[in-house]
Amino acid sequence: MGAIDITCRGLAGVALTSLLWAVPSDTRAFTVNIAAANPRVIYLQVGVGSFNGTYNSGGSPANNATVNVVSVTVPAAQVGNGAAQAMTTNSTASRSYYDNYVFCNAPAQLYVGGFFRSTSNSGSATLTTSSPANLVNASGQQIPFSQISWTSSGNGDSGAQPFPAGSFNGATQVIGTIRRNQWAESCHTFRYANSSVVAPGTYSGRVTYTLSTP
Amino acid sequence: MRLAVAAAMVALLAAPIAPASVAAAATYRVDDHATLPIESTALLRWRQAAPSLAQDDTLEGATAVAVRLNLAAWVGQEASLYLVFPEQGSAALRASWTTQGRLLPGEVSPGKRVLVYRGRITSPAIEETLTLRIEADGNRLSGMQHLQFHFEIDTD
Repeated sequence: MGAIDITCRGLAGVALTSLLWAVPSDTRAFTVNIAAANPRVIYLQVGVGSFNGTYNSGGSPANNATVNVVSVTVPAAQVGNGAAQAMTTNSTASRSYYDNYVFCNAPAQLYVGGFFRSTSNSGSATLTTSSPANLVNASGQQIPFSQISWTSSGNGDSGAQPFPAGSFNGATQVIGTIRRNQWAESCHTFRYANSSVVAPGTYSGRVTYTLSTP
Repeated sequence: MRLAVAAAMVALLAAPIAPASVAAAATYRVDDHATLPIESTALLRWRQAAPSLAQDDTLEGATAVAVRLNLAAWVGQEASLYLVFPEQGSAALRASWTTQGRLLPGEVSPGKRVLVYRGRITSPAIEETLTLRIEADGNRLSGMQHLQFHFEIDTD
């Protein structure tokens, strides 16, 4: 599970043969039972993460509890004028742990990636986000979380992104999927719609990213 | 009628398995009823925690097998002893093993057999401990699988 804090700061923010062998099998064969000990493994990284080595060199994931912040300060003169405001992140994660390639452009982009390990061909892992209805300032004033959207890309990528563009809905929503035994990653560039005049202050809210296995 | 059929079946089964004496070259199943894995289940783990670029989706694990073979019928004969890993009809598998020296180490894939001893049978039983290592395709291993092994002996 990962999370980011978003703030908008400033003024807004199986026959016979078998029968023949079946009888002696009790006394003239031995059986080794095998089972997968750890059939499912998932790794999710939102912003900064930790990995020992890289994915394509047999590395292994590690824990990182960092919650990154995506923010924007809207100039007073532009508050509520409808001009979308690019947001930036305090994440320094630009290189992918897939192969150490510079996949994202921090701080303009937030890295979102991970993998799903399973022995069962029962589907894909699903990445969801949970966002509150509103960003809230110290005075309780609000900005709908739906004002925050993102585009998706990756350096050197072409074709569809695993975690495509979208906007938060102030509830739980599907962001994308990761196929079994695959790594998936995208870079998200956030923006604030800035479509309404709001009271001055720092508006904040936390988005929680959850990767779930079938 | 039922008894007659049953008697015929028993005779058919017994002939190749427990020969009172063996003169001509032939292959027999060895009585290995006392052979037992030490653990009830070998738990296989991902060889690589992450599904690498090479798509290494191998699960691997090991278990010890206490082998006891009844070779009384062949004492004094020159023979070759094989570990047989029949077709399993399941995930892609490979088994390898190390020994404590009475039998040969080796590896085998389903449908094949591998030599584990060649020479004169000098005692009515062989006891050995195999450290059996199993590799399976993680994309096709779901739930528990029961791998059947047995021993065969070829007499000269």
